[in-house]
Parts: sequence; structure tokens; C-alpha cells
Amino acid sequence: MELLECKNLEKSFGNTKVLNNINLTIPRGKIIGLLGKNGTGKTTLIKLINNLLTPTKGTILINGKEIDIESKKIISYLPERTYLDKTMTVKQIIKFFEEFYENFDSKKAKKLLEDLGLNINQKLSKMSKGMQEKVQLVLVMSRKADLYILDEPLGGVDPATRDYILDTILNNFNEGASVIISTHLISDIERILDEVIFIDKGQIILTQDADELRTKENDSIDEIFRRMFKC
Amino acid sequence: MLTKLLKYDLKNIFKFLIIFYSLSIIGAISTRICFNIENSFILEIIAQICSGFTIAMIINILINNIIKLWVRFKNNLYGDESYLTHTLPVSKKDIYLSKILTTIISLFISTLVIALTLFIAYYSKENVEALKNFLLPIATAYGSTIIKIISSFLFILFLQFANTVQAGFTGIILGHKMNQTKIGFSVIFGYITYTITQLFALFITFITALFNKDLMNLFITNQIIDVEIVKVTIYLSIIIYTITLIIGYFINIKLLKQGINVE
Repeated sequence: MELLECKNLEKSFGNTKVLNNINLTIPRGKIIGLLGKNGTGKTTLIKLINNLLTPTKGTILINGKEIDIESKKIISYLPERTYLDKTMTVKQIIKFFEEFYENFDSKKAKKLLEDLGLNINQKLSKMSKGMQEKVQLVLVMSRKADLYILDEPLGGVDPATRDYILDTILNNFNEGASVIISTHLISDIERILDEVIFIDKGQIILTQDADELRTKENDSIDEIFRRMFKC
Repeated sequence: MLTKLLKYDLKNIFKFLIIFYSLSIIGAISTRICFNIENSFILEIIAQICSGFTIAMIINILINNIIKLWVRFKNNLYGDESYLTHTLPVSKKDIYLSKILTTIISLFISTLVIALTLFIAYYSKENVEALKNFLLPIATAYGSTIIKIISSFLFILFLQFANTVQAGFTGIILGHKMNQTKIGFSVIFGYITYTITQLFALFITFITALFNKDLMNLFITNQIIDVEIVKVTIYLSIIIYTITLIIGYFINIKLLKQGINVE
């Protein structure tokens, strides 16, 4: 049974069709790059998988079942925005995650936060946007999930910290789990990808093994992407 | 999971309301102290100012309680925080039930704080006597007690506020089913829902009046009505507002289960 399956998925907002006939299968134990230009439907697809949007048509199956409480227990999701209650301290948020997610490892979270030099007694509202994003990433990666979905994890982060974040992702995801990383900063994440999915105008235009694609095209994924999506 | 959700919802609202609770109690104590010191024209003026401040805080408690509940609901279910709310391993029913229980608990506690504030600021034998003299004829006519009369009116008021908050929740849910101007539509749908609940209350009263000649007089005459009818109306109001609260609860859960589209 596949970890995630999208069948004939469609999403429209009014008369605007944002996603069209998406058929997608995510196996276990892979790091997959969901790559596309801005506004091509990456975030919409991720929101649909996380039950934050309702599909216009089609189905999404997690472990062969439609999205329910059980599937939320095994998906760890990092949105592209800061989504935590800013009136809370990091310590209170850790407690919150501990209470709601059985698979949350608070010791690991505290260790990672310490490594990043973040004060757990500080309120989120007193932190910079970059610091808040680091806190969110740590919380998401401290869960022993089956599927990690990271939407633009490098978006607001300085280049010097990007490698640290990628290493955090690589070293902390659960064995046998899969990671979907949505981004347009391909050169930064290329080294960790097992598979790539190219999405354009609401449709999946390519799904392939990253190494196979590089060999076939004799170029980096970043260059292939630039060629394919040249304006 | 419901208790955990409720804990965080209650913490959030009371963290905010405690400011107004404290201010109203401080205002009430100041009013009492200033009114108790006699022979000072200045202190009498200050007492009036304190009294005005206390009343303003009481109004603030009610308005801010309702608005904060709506804002929290909107942020939690459709704003940035919705990305956390909807990815928690909890059912939509539990999420909504937590909001409704928070509404009931916070409105109830606010009512108690308001009663306490009024007691601190204005309690005196003369005031109690005056209140008794005003309410006793009504209570006697109803074959009831003053306490029961006050409790009934407070309960109707509480149900009315709870229905208003829930109408706002319905408005927010329906407004966010639109693709544009979601806040604008939320206000419009909220207002429509509130109007519908009031019309529903009127409709049920009318249906009941078809079987009660005295109650029908409310609709067909403008003469002074029998006190017995007021008693019937009070009980009917309590029943109708409780029913609308329950119906609204199930409608909103059904709407949420149809799916959401966060911003």
C-alpha cells in the first residue's frame, strides 16, 4: 500500500482551476522535491493533502484510507507561513505539541533548539520571522511521522542557515518515512532529493528519480528546471 | 482531546478577559470607597466618575467577550493558526464543541463577574429594598420569587448572547466558503443567521399562540397584556433559544464537516 495517493485531483476557486487532474503516488522512504515556479499549484496541492482545502474533484488516500484523524497523526506538516500562537513561549508550544502529538519527541526538540541558539523561554512574538520559522521546522522534524511535508522550508532563511536546515531535515526524519519538500530554490535542496515532481499550471508534468533524470539529461536538476520553465 | 482543546481555548480568552474583569472590580471598589466617604463634594464627583468607569467596564466585558470569541474562531479555523488547528489529530466536531463550550463558560463567568461588580459597587440595604419593592409585585403576580425572576431574565440574556455568538460563527463558516471578500460575507451571513434565529423564535411563538388565546393577544392587540402571558413568554423564550442554540450547533458542525478552505 502506498503512503500517499492522489487520484484525479482537481481544485478550483470559483471559475479558476488551480489544480487539474493530479495523479500522484508517494512511496515510503524517499525524499521528494515538489518543484515548480511560483503560483503553479504546489501549495494548493500540499494544502489539499493536509485537509486545509476541500478538493473540487478526486480523492486523496493516506495509507489507502481517506484523510481522517489517523492520517493527521502520521503527517508532519510545515506550512509556508508562521502559524503558531505568537502569544505563547517556545516552551509552551513544545508542551502543546507534546499534548496533541503522541509521536512528538520534546527532548529532541529542545536539543535542536539549543543547537540553534534559540531561547525556549522567549515568546514567539519577540522573535524574528526567521527565528520563528526555525522553531516551526524543529517542531515538525521532532515528530516521528510517516510523512513530512515541508512547504518552502528555505523560503525566509539566509543562505548560511539553509545547509543547517537541510542537514536537520536529513538527520531527523523518521526511518522509513518520506519527505515532500516544495520549493523553487532547487539548487539548495538538489543534493538531498531522491525523486522530483515538476508541476506547472496546476498539472504534474514530470515525475522521475533524481539520479536517473540527471544522467538522462546530463545536467543538474536546477539547470533542467531552468530550461523547462524558461519564461 | 476535547479537554485539551478546551484548556487552550479557555486560557486564550481568559488571558484577555482578566484585564477587563480586574478593571471592573477595581472600578467597583473605588466607587464603593468614594460613595462611602461623606461630606466631600470632590469625592462625590470622583465617585460618579468611578461609577461611570465601572459601567463602561461592564459593557466592555460583554462586548469584548463576544468579539474575542469571534476573532479566536476566525483565526483558529481560517487564519494563520488554522494551519495548526486543522492538522491536529482531532475531529472537526471536537474543535467546534470546544469553541461552543468556551462561549458558554466565558459568558457565564462574565455574567458572574458583572453581578459581583454591581454588588461591590452598589450594594446597600436601601438599594436592595428598592429592588425588592420594584420586583416583588411582578414576582407575586407570577407566583414566583424575586430570585427566580432575576435568574430567568439573566438566563434569557445569557441564551441570547450565546445565540448571537453562534450566529457569528455560522457567518464566519459561510463567509469563508466564498472565494472573495470573506470577511464581508461573514458579517452579512452572521447578520442573516441572527435575523433567522429571531424570526424562528417569533414563528414558534406565533404557532404556540394559535393554541393560546391570551398569547395571541400579543400579535393582534396593542392593549396591556396579562402578566400570565409574560410568564408564558419567558418560559417559551428559554425553550426556543435553547432549541436554536442546539440546532445552530448541529448545522455548524455539518457545515464544517463538508470541508473547509483556509486562507
